[in-house]
Amino acid sequence: MRSEDDTHDANDLDYIDDDFVDNESDDEDGYYDFLDNDESDDRQQQNYIILSEADIQHHQEEDINRVSTILSLPRAAACSLLRHYNWIVSRVTDEWFADEENTRRVVGLLEKKPIEMPNSPELTCGICFEDYPRDRMNSTACGHPFCSVCWRAYIGTSIRDGPGWALSLRCPDPSCGVAVGQDMVNLLATDEDKEKYSRYLLRSYVEDNKKIKWCPGRGCDYAVEFVLGSGSYDVCCNCSYGFCWNCTEEAHRPVDCSTVAKWMLKNSSESANMNWISANSKPCPKCERPIEKDHGCMHMTCTPPCKFEFCWLCLGAWSDHGESTGGFYACNRYEAAKQEGTYDESENRREMAKKSLERYTHYYERWATNESSRQKALVDLHSMQTEKLEKLSDIQSLPALQLKFTTEAWLQIVECRRVLKWTYAYGFYLPEHERAKRQFFEYLQGEAESGLELLHQCAEKELQVYLDEESPSKHFDDFLTKLANLTSVTRNYFENLVRALETGLKDVEAIDQQATCSRASSSKTMDGKGRGSGPSDSMDDTNHWLCDLCTYANLKSSNICQMCQQRRS
Amino acid sequence: MTSTSSPSRKALSKIACNRLQKELVEWQVSPPAGFKHKVTDNLQRWVVEVVGAPGTLYASETYQLQVDFPEHYPMEAPQVIFLHPAPLHPHIYSNGHICLDILYDSWSPAMTVSSVCISILSMLSSSTVKQRPADNDRYVKNCRNGRSPKETRWWFHDDKV
Ligand SMILES: [Zn+2]
Ligand SMILES: [Zn+2]
Ligand SMILES: [Zn+2]
Ligand SMILES: [Zn+2]
Ligand SMILES: [Zn+2]
Ligand SMILES: [Zn+2]
Ligand SMILES: [Zn+2]
Ligand SMILES: [Zn+2]
Repeated sequence: MRSEDDTHDANDLDYIDDDFVDNESDDEDGYYDFLDNDESDDRQQQNYIILSEADIQHHQEEDINRVSTILSLPRAAACSLLRHYNWIVSRVTDEWFADEENTRRVVGLLEKKPIEMPNSPELTCGICFEDYPRDRMNSTACGHPFCSVCWRAYIGTSIRDGPGWALSLRCPDPSCGVAVGQDMVNLLATDEDKEKYSRYLLRSYVEDNKKIKWCPGRGCDYAVEFVLGSGSYDVCCNCSYGFCWNCTEEAHRPVDCSTVAKWMLKNSSESANMNWISANSKPCPKCERPIEKDHGCMHMTCTPPCKFEFCWLCLGAWSDHGESTGGFYACNRYEAAKQEGTYDESENRREMAKKSLERYTHYYERWATNESSRQKALVDLHSMQTEKLEKLSDIQSLPALQLKFTTEAWLQIVECRRVLKWTYAYGFYLPEHERAKRQFFEYLQGEAESGLELLHQCAEKELQVYLDEESPSKHFDDFLTKLANLTSVTRNYFENLVRALETGLKDVEAIDQQATCSRASSSKTMDGKGRGSGPSDSMDDTNHWLCDLCTYANLKSSNICQMCQQRRS
Repeated sequence: MTSTSSPSRKALSKIACNRLQKELVEWQVSPPAGFKHKVTDNLQRWVVEVVGAPGTLYASETYQLQVDFPEHYPMEAPQVIFLHPAPLHPHIYSNGHICLDILYDSWSPAMTVSSVCISILSMLSSSTVKQRPADNDRYVKNCRNGRSPKETRWWFHDDKV
């Protein structure tokens, strides 16, 4: 982990950083950190390999050659063996050396030398029963003769029946069972069928292989090989589609696969109830005119003369969401409406059903809105890369390379919207009775929402100002610095958030036990500067200090912010 | 009750015609023991009489098999069913459908009507009990709309019977 102190102890090495670091940079964390942090430090070691079609072919050929060499078998035989044992080389050799006779029988490989066809000038085809000269007949290693017309039809039929049939094809003689391999196909089938067969073979190398899966991205031809038993299942394909290698749903850290499956099932069973949510239009909470949501962030402004600013998610005034209310962004939190009066049994049950739907709706709406926000951000990222970047570079007369922060910001927004989306499935399944955990979770999630909102707004609306200008703006540099800073802080925050949620918010378990005790609030943190302030009145603040930079509530035991690595002041 | 109207079927290909003609000649020269082909001028549908083998549960009982050939016979399997009344057998449904792998997944174009008949007779002969398959009622009900046994995804009963 990078530490500010190191730069003092290593003065003699300063020249290495000359381009980036001046003396003042020690106080200014984010920006320069961001410059030399790029990629290297934080990213986990990649535990998967992306394979193009050529790569797959290459790997497959290597495996076939290995088996063919080790067992001294022809290529087609090695191929049949590998396919039968799911392309695991060690499995093939193990089976072979344990019981060669049985392995040969199972796969359909004859012992010893191939048998010649009967030695007479004319032979009868075993399918059409016509007689042909011997040199117009063919057989596999078993010597059962069939004419080329029948072979072609036989192979063609198996290919039409699908890869399962074609790749395990045997001699047509019912008593025989000798394998018909790719050598026979290439010798006897039509060109179209040869092509199909080799596609089947390639597909089999991925589909029958426990370590490789096709990327489920639309129109994508890459496959991903996963190093089993290592870390997270989230992979990002070269086509830019991110997915979970384990369940092949879209990438879903920090939520695990079974929660995703449960959540998706819930969504499909409730879809009739949720139809209204997909609409991109809601009435303004003040003037009631319909407002279209045409951008990604949640901060809405009604058209003049109303100009009411509100939150798309909860329809509350935006002024209740920002720094002015102490930075606590509470619209992510679900609070069941207070139960009033008394109900009889059936009324009570109805009320419960209504509550449970309300609760689900709360999470679903936020899950779905973050997804559509992410989709919007993907579109914006694309337009940034294809047109806006160039335009911005012209207007501000800066080389496009210096504008890379803008695309990085958008990439970060896309990723954060994805994480945020899944935190709502996480929240939905977080048990109600683990109250301190829930509160802490909602606090972290709220901070994530508001932090991302700042970044999204900055990349979306504030950037637009500079795109609308005619000539270079002297504020543009400052803007870039702000954007880069926000990106960096948001990235750190989200990475830590993911880690915290993946470990099940372990830190909080301790608090959960004390939550009912003292509620003394620390004045030191409550009047902290900037956005920093108390997480909520129910948090036990004596155990925490709030980070100046990101407002994360850290445990007293650590002096470095768990979210952004800022030192405790 | 038995559906004798087979699903509308394309005419036999030339290859199929040639091959069936040869099978017919071969059948007339040496018919499989226990079978009699009721010759008609319809090459695409054969009706074959089976007589239960002596010393088996079906001894001297007579049944009729209906064999329909697809356009691309013998690359595709023929459809073989018992006409009403079908023998009481743990692998034969009351609608005449037969649960026998070579009629479906394990068909090979090197097989013939004659070899299929022999397999069916041996299936009858090895039976130790005269009864319908356990799932008879459900299966037959599902076939009411005239579904061919070739459209069934067969789970073959084990071969012991
Ligand atoms: Zn032939
Ligand atoms: Zn053979
Ligand atoms: Zn892909
Ligand atoms: Zn998954
Ligand atoms: Zn309004
Ligand atoms: Zn809100
Ligand atoms: Zn911090
Ligand atoms: Zn059966």
